[in-house]
Amino acid sequence: MSDVSTGAPPRRRFKVSRRMLPYVLSLPALLVCIGILIPFFTAVLYSLQRYRLSQPWARKFNWGENYLNFLSDSSFWNTLKVSLTYAFATVGIELLLGLGIALLLQKRSRFNNFVSIMLLMPLMTAPALAALMWKLMTNPGFGILSYFADLLGFTNFNWASDPQTAMLTVVIVDVWVYTPFIMILLLAGLRSLPQQPFEAAALDGVPRWFVFYRITLPMLTPFLLTAVLFRVIESIQQFDIIYAMTQGGPGDSLTVFQVEAYLNFFQSTNVGRSAALMMILWAITFFLSNIFIKNWLRLRERQRGEA
Amino acid sequence: MTLALENIVKAFKKDVVLDGVSLSVDSGETLVLFGPSGAGKTVLLRLIAGVIEPDEGTITIQGRDMDGVEPEDRGIGMAFQNFALFPHMDATQNIAAPLTARNMSKSAITETVNRIARMLKIEHVLHHKPKELSNGQKQRTALARALAGEPDILLLDDPLRNVDAKLRFEMRLELPRLLKDQNATVIYVTQDYKEAMALGDRIAVMNAHGIEQTGTPSEIYLAPANIEIARLFGDPVINLLDVIPEQTEGGMRITLSGVPVPIDGGYGEVAGRACIVGIRPEALRFVAEGTADAIPLTIETETPLNEKTVTLGLTKNGREIMVSRPAGTPGPAEGTGFIAIDATHVHLFDRATGNRIVPTERHTARSQGAA
Amino acid sequence: MNTTSPLERVLRGIAITLVILFFMFPIFWIVLMSFQTNATILQVPPSIFFEPTLQNYRGLITGQLVTDTSSLEIKFMGNLFNSLFLSTTSVAVGLVLGVPAAYAFARLKFRGSEDIAFTLLSFRFAPPLLVLLPLTIYFQQLGLANTYGGLIWVYQLIVLPLILWIVRGYFEDIPADIEYAYRIAGHRWWTTFRKIALPLAGPGIAAAALLAFIFAWNNFIFALVLASADKQPVTVGALAFITASGVQYGQIAAGIILSIAPTFALALYAQRYLVEGLSLGAVKG
Repeated sequence: MSDVSTGAPPRRRFKVSRRMLPYVLSLPALLVCIGILIPFFTAVLYSLQRYRLSQPWARKFNWGENYLNFLSDSSFWNTLKVSLTYAFATVGIELLLGLGIALLLQKRSRFNNFVSIMLLMPLMTAPALAALMWKLMTNPGFGILSYFADLLGFTNFNWASDPQTAMLTVVIVDVWVYTPFIMILLLAGLRSLPQQPFEAAALDGVPRWFVFYRITLPMLTPFLLTAVLFRVIESIQQFDIIYAMTQGGPGDSLTVFQVEAYLNFFQSTNVGRSAALMMILWAITFFLSNIFIKNWLRLRERQRGEA
Repeated sequence: MTLALENIVKAFKKDVVLDGVSLSVDSGETLVLFGPSGAGKTVLLRLIAGVIEPDEGTITIQGRDMDGVEPEDRGIGMAFQNFALFPHMDATQNIAAPLTARNMSKSAITETVNRIARMLKIEHVLHHKPKELSNGQKQRTALARALAGEPDILLLDDPLRNVDAKLRFEMRLELPRLLKDQNATVIYVTQDYKEAMALGDRIAVMNAHGIEQTGTPSEIYLAPANIEIARLFGDPVINLLDVIPEQTEGGMRITLSGVPVPIDGGYGEVAGRACIVGIRPEALRFVAEGTADAIPLTIETETPLNEKTVTLGLTKNGREIMVSRPAGTPGPAEGTGFIAIDATHVHLFDRATGNRIVPTERHTARSQGAA
Repeated sequence: MNTTSPLERVLRGIAITLVILFFMFPIFWIVLMSFQTNATILQVPPSIFFEPTLQNYRGLITGQLVTDTSSLEIKFMGNLFNSLFLSTTSVAVGLVLGVPAAYAFARLKFRGSEDIAFTLLSFRFAPPLLVLLPLTIYFQQLGLANTYGGLIWVYQLIVLPLILWIVRGYFEDIPADIEYAYRIAGHRWWTTFRKIALPLAGPGIAAAALLAFIFAWNNFIFALVLASADKQPVTVGALAFITASGVQYGQIAAGIILSIAPTFALALYAQRYLVEGLSLGAVKG
């Protein structure tokens, strides 16, 4: 043991500066964190209150009532149904399409690289603006797509303004924007796969479909999982495209979670219900993002290990 | 005493790397830290440099407690095993790093960099970035950077590890003079015993828990503290044979292949104890058949090296023995040879502890050494 | 791979053509619209042959929407400026906050560092409205409602996790010995951070900044909830514009093109880093 009487004072000073450094460096970011956490906890409180901006005098805690009401609230079940339909439809189509395109572009060539960069353009378009673009194209008066629909015999095909086809329309816009996301991740994944198993399979004359199911897909799984989970989390929270396209309409045909909460807050001024809706959405995404982060970390470690 | 470490303890998570290490280095001395990888040599250097802190213990430099002193204030130069050159700076800027930290004029910096570059023969690559340098040039640049600040203490972390054999050979010849010119206290880490013997004024042998033995190269070679150290120093490796010494009228002796071999006096109570005898290959020599007390050996292979020839043989009991003799001297006949043992160069180790049994009186003469 | 049959090659060609058509056509069509007068836009059947006009862009840039019957003032340029200002400032603030924190998380592992890093990451996945709704009420009370400062703060929700996790990876890739070497050579921590860590992580910081800019630019919901007309970026402004301008479709198209052009340009410039950024640093492109 060292001489404590002489060793202690300088050690203290040393440790403080060195120990404090990381905190000093991350403190500003932490403060922003805390600034965000406060509204989060406020939202929890709101969700447990009867709280309408139009009736501030009637504000009081009603504990689980907002949540209990959901059970018998058909519009809540509609929100859940619409949100899940949207999420599964968009991510399902984007996965198949994205995987297909990634396979088409897998080989490194000037042309394929050019195409893959071009295809990123929709992803770089703000989703709200993408919705506006499609709105212009599906305008019943002059929209090019309405014109095509007409040519194909779908007279009076009203796209987003018809409850029957509104979902289809926003799903197409979502697919247009986000398929490139899945495509580019899977393309990076495909191109990073080791070549030996494929060469060995080719030498042995293994059929291509078999190689795809038994070698390509399993090796691609971490990329697939990361891409899909990422998309599901975003898709179930989709707001921009739907709000910019129809503001949740027509009727309640597109009132997904965030749109419903937005309308509840700003139109019906029902803060309590709005917050409770957000809490449920948060619970779903929290669950999904935990699975996602695990996968994402594993993929991150693996990719870093190879680099 | 320039540098002293006292009872240093360092653990990473639960893994204790250094467990109470003490060490002192005199001014101007070159101390070699020698040991296998994982022994904590690099950790020790980093503790001295101040980039990591000890859990316990004190480090003093020039009598000053280093606790609380940042690396930049310790007056240390260090060369890293992986060179750790700054990839975005050219060789000049790399070498100038210790100089730019001070209030030095541009011309003085240039002058110093050029002088050191000339000394290390890298003046023609001064404007190259590290990735344009060969491994040897990188190593010299790293060394130049460590020397440029004329530090009181120079820490060299296995600087020859990642260079090719030819350069390693050259540098091993060049370095001692270079280090002496610097007049610095040097701590040199290596896993190569020849490097340790060639460069060290003293050698500290480390293993998984700390320093096993400290001494001059010849002390380490001639009086290794334990079997492990005896094995680490010397090429070919020391011959180690299980024996049980007996006390006879003629003194203490061991029996090899039925032939009694007297061992040096002074071994007290070793009779009947399970021991291991260590015999350096160069302490054995071939003798003519019929020489008294010669041990018969079945010759397996002969390996001529540059300056010596190594013979691998089997004793009557099937134990392997290596014999080394200067190149060009006559060897044994094919098949069988006879060896005699230079009894003064025999070490006795306790089989249970592995520690060397130190004779009370020693008659060891300076042997021809290794390498 | 060389054994592809002619049939397969034809099928591949068709597939790629369809893919390009689907993803590129909307952009192509809106670009065409932006150079058309309302008269040619409303023409049936639509045609890709028309006399191009710059009047839509001119109208947007001068801020005067002149129709046959009336003249309407439009603030689209103001929206464009807001987008530029909000995105640039948010990224600048995000860098100032995020880069040192990323360094702390990468290099100086400390108690709770991983928890904090993951909390920041989880912001990326939390529903924005969850935070935004209470925040509208707080912002009213704090006087931050409809201010650039308030918006820039909220934009950190998108910018900060991105910068933190991408830059952290780059810092982790710098061997610690290189920084140690500079310290031992006699330089203070702060000098070492500036002269060694920052330049070596430079490409990562640039990539993170570009991507954060794109995401901030494309954001819609924050400004929709928290900003009124004079602070709105293009994403929200364009939506308001569509209702205000009524039937000026050519101008709407031109507005959209002006709004997406900057992100396209940046994406092209930063394409090398897009994969890495989109996966928050997990996948290297």
